[in-house]
Amino acid sequence: MCTHNSINSGKEITLTIDGKVCKSTFGKTILEIARENDIYIPTMCYLTKVKSIASCRMCIVNVDGVDGAILSCQERATDGAVVTTNSEDLYAERQSIMKLYNVNHPLECGVCDKSGECELQNKTMEFGLAEQPFTARDQSRPVENWGYVSYDPALCIMCEKCVRVSTEITGDEALQLQFGGYSSKIVNTQIDKNYSTLGEAASVCPVGALVDTNFKYTTNAWELSKIPSACHHCSAGCQMNYEVKNDTIYRITNNFEFTSLCGAGRYGFDYANKGVTKDSEAFNRAVEAMKSAKSIIFSSQISNEEAYILQKIKELTGAKLISNEARAYQKFMQAYSSVTGKHLYNGNLKAISNSTAIIVLGSRVNDDAPMVKYHINMASKWNRARVAYMHPIEDVEMKNLVTQFMKYEAGSEEGVSALLVDTLLKDIDVPKDVRAFLDDLDIGNLSAGSNIGEEEFELLKKSMIKKRDFSLVIGADLYTHPRATQIAKIIALVEKYTNFNVVCIPPSSNAMGVSLICDLDDEADEYSVGYNAKANFTLSALGDGDLDMPALNQQEGTMVTIDKRLVPMNVAQPYGGYILNDIANAMGIGARYTIDYTKSLPLEKGFRGVEFDALDDYFTATGDEKRGYLLELHETPTEDNFEEIEELDGFDGAVIYNCNPKDQFSPFTNLCSTIKDESKLVGSSQFAIVTKLQDGDSVSFTVNGIEFKRLFRIEPSMKGTIAINPIYDMGLSTPLVSYYRFNKVQIIKEEKKED
Amino acid sequence: MSLEQFKNRNVGVQSYKTLDVGTPPKTGMEKFTQVVKRSVKGELFVGLGVVMKRMLEALFKNDMHTVKYPFEKMPISPRYRAIHEMLRLLESGNYRCIGCGLCEKICISNCISMETRYDENQRKEVSEYTINFGRCIFCGYCAEVCPELAIVHGQRYETASEQRAGFSLFEDMLTPIDQLNLQQEFDGFGAVSPNADDNIKQTPLAY
Ligand code: SF4
Ligand code: SF4
Ligand code: SF4
Ligand code: SF4
Ligand code: FES
Repeated sequence: MCTHNSINSGKEITLTIDGKVCKSTFGKTILEIARENDIYIPTMCYLTKVKSIASCRMCIVNVDGVDGAILSCQERATDGAVVTTNSEDLYAERQSIMKLYNVNHPLECGVCDKSGECELQNKTMEFGLAEQPFTARDQSRPVENWGYVSYDPALCIMCEKCVRVSTEITGDEALQLQFGGYSSKIVNTQIDKNYSTLGEAASVCPVGALVDTNFKYTTNAWELSKIPSACHHCSAGCQMNYEVKNDTIYRITNNFEFTSLCGAGRYGFDYANKGVTKDSEAFNRAVEAMKSAKSIIFSSQISNEEAYILQKIKELTGAKLISNEARAYQKFMQAYSSVTGKHLYNGNLKAISNSTAIIVLGSRVNDDAPMVKYHINMASKWNRARVAYMHPIEDVEMKNLVTQFMKYEAGSEEGVSALLVDTLLKDIDVPKDVRAFLDDLDIGNLSAGSNIGEEEFELLKKSMIKKRDFSLVIGADLYTHPRATQIAKIIALVEKYTNFNVVCIPPSSNAMGVSLICDLDDEADEYSVGYNAKANFTLSALGDGDLDMPALNQQEGTMVTIDKRLVPMNVAQPYGGYILNDIANAMGIGARYTIDYTKSLPLEKGFRGVEFDALDDYFTATGDEKRGYLLELHETPTEDNFEEIEELDGFDGAVIYNCNPKDQFSPFTNLCSTIKDESKLVGSSQFAIVTKLQDGDSVSFTVNGIEFKRLFRIEPSMKGTIAINPIYDMGLSTPLVSYYRFNKVQIIKEEKKED
Repeated sequence: MSLEQFKNRNVGVQSYKTLDVGTPPKTGMEKFTQVVKRSVKGELFVGLGVVMKRMLEALFKNDMHTVKYPFEKMPISPRYRAIHEMLRLLESGNYRCIGCGLCEKICISNCISMETRYDENQRKEVSEYTINFGRCIFCGYCAEVCPELAIVHGQRYETASEQRAGFSLFEDMLTPIDQLNLQQEFDGFGAVSPNADDNIKQTPLAY
């Protein structure tokens, strides 16, 4: 159940709904309790994941002793109430509401995208309306194409769900209601931004008013079969369904009542490795390569089972396992657990949305982890949460949520963490050695080095005084920092000695799973085999390797999400080639299917030894998540030893920050034709001056040994001398880039060709 | 109705009268006598006479009693359910089919398959439409369900083909645009009834 609706939860209450005695807790609405007890109350505007909208009046009920009907979606249940959800009067009133909804509604179910899953259609049938009895003078209301979604005002029933989602959940705040009697409509105030997050608004639209443009009119809803899965583009692992007909994915849907997707999850489905057949020669070469490989380099966008197979291969041949991002995260979390004594962090997304004060450190969270941003936004909208955003680059997309932006110098993360922890632990009892470490900090010096003033931390402290639930979000900038282990230990103090909900965002989709399953190594040796990463012999699901592999929507498997939950993924697209398990089998590591390994995932790392086919994948009627299972938390040995904070060479001058735009995560999202993004280097005009570049210049530069050729664009909303460089489009080289995200580089301006 | 009764398809009241056809011969002798009697009676020649008469009529009076199939075909009842046709709107020549997919859904043998798209005028348009005639049982449900009188049964009843699965594409069934004036309204299964106008209720309009 949506916890934001149950503020004063705890007190037991008993009420009677339609003669059934229902026990619940105070704070829930009548509708929520009815749903908990499987009692049906019709609704049109109710959406569990947002605050009640109360625009439709369909949910009216009678309560004994109360005059007139009350809205069950809004009214908190009281102890002893006797509720009637249906009577002749209520039915008649609901029927007249439906008559009003049908006024001037175009009779176009025959071509409407929503037909078959339309709330208006269903309720019109349910309330037995065979005709439209009234009408109003109509006017021309043309369809508006907004980019990812298009809007047909003639079909809109003004339920407001889309507006609420855009404000309370995704936080793009693009949609607004425009009142005007029968010409009321929804307006998009940000058409030029073409937010892909509007896909979330479209998914909750109960009618065909707001629909995905790329899906519009391509098929009827009932022709599609739903394949439940998890989105693996980032570590949020959101619940979703592939909707498939004739082996083609037509769209992605989700359980929008309780969960959301980001733009990549919603529109990035078209990346399968298609038309692959079994090439036995290439396969034999791959087996030989794997046998003789000294190291296996891979991107952590693989399933747990594949990671487990790689670990088995390592145990067999002694090859090193190299996955940079997962390795950095693994080391970070090991250092972190050495302080907290738990092998995983304590936080999760839901706790973020319930917080009243949130600190984000080391992540451009709107781009890195959209689901984290959504949850911060929910906290901001529901609890008016204080949000402190600590990062070297300001993000305009976060402006309406962030209450305090704390800009620090790139590279000074260690000092910043120390200052932050010092602030948070100020009045808290901590062991002597920790206190000694904190007291020893040279605050003035650290403050100067990181460029955050002491008064900013004081402000932060002050703003958190009257708040009750706290979250700290840690991002990928810290994992790859040269002093990552020290930073991890400092941050871990927050989890250990305060009641903060701490989340360390895994840097890529299954980095957490990989870091738990594999013994990773630091440096690769020649001769190497790559899995979705460039190496001497490359296995690739991107279609350009030495042997083809299936993409993650072409195989079964599991992944571990940011919520520390193992979730199943299923097959949505056919695949005719060889898979990693075939190679392992040829090497004598035998399992019939890849998913036979699901139950063997290491128990000591929190996996529960459940078979793939026994994993649940659903939400209950009240929104309890029953997807896969939560990893068990294990105790780890602790050791508190802190080093002195190291002075860092400053990052002055032009710096480049590796960061993908918000709908792009990896070479897989890059393959999707439905996501529109141009990969370019964007910087402020200040950056342009420092580097002597002009808007539209072609530049080249090298980061971590990988050469980038990019178009440079000046982004007027940016400030400072750090430019943003996407890495998602580098194909098999992308997994090789993941070192510290800030880099000082030599930018070479390419000669413009005269034409 | 119980399952027993449901399975028993012989549910009507049986009021047939049996004709008096005499008693068939039983012994070998009786059978032999019957054969001899019939052979010698000369009924054979009555039949031959009729044939001769018709032949002479056909030869000299030009009064034919057969059609020269396949050069000639008998007219067929509009209620016959032959190979489908896709009709066009008479005024504009546009497809009548709006791509609603009801025929695809109702088809009992799952032999209709279609693709639709978002066209330049922001409307839904069929882009592909096929019927697998190897599976079609000519039940007529598709024609009946079609809200636009777009898919109808035509008169083309010769469905022999070299392959079991014979597909028809949208263009095969669609009225050629230059023959729009020859397009016949369909009277068969699912067509509007003669009193359709009486059954229609007008949607209220505010002006
Ligand atoms: S929105 Fe619903 S009721 Fe309206 S035309 Fe579409 S399917 Fe029919
Ligand atoms: S567009 Fe859809 S969700 Fe938004 S108000 Fe209209 S009917 Fe409701
Ligand atoms: S006639 Fe019957 S079987 Fe043939 S296409 Fe139509 S619905 Fe299908
Ligand atoms: S039922 Fe008629 S209008 Fe609908 S798709 Fe079939 S042929 Fe087209
Ligand atoms: S569901 Fe209660 S008013 Fe709409």
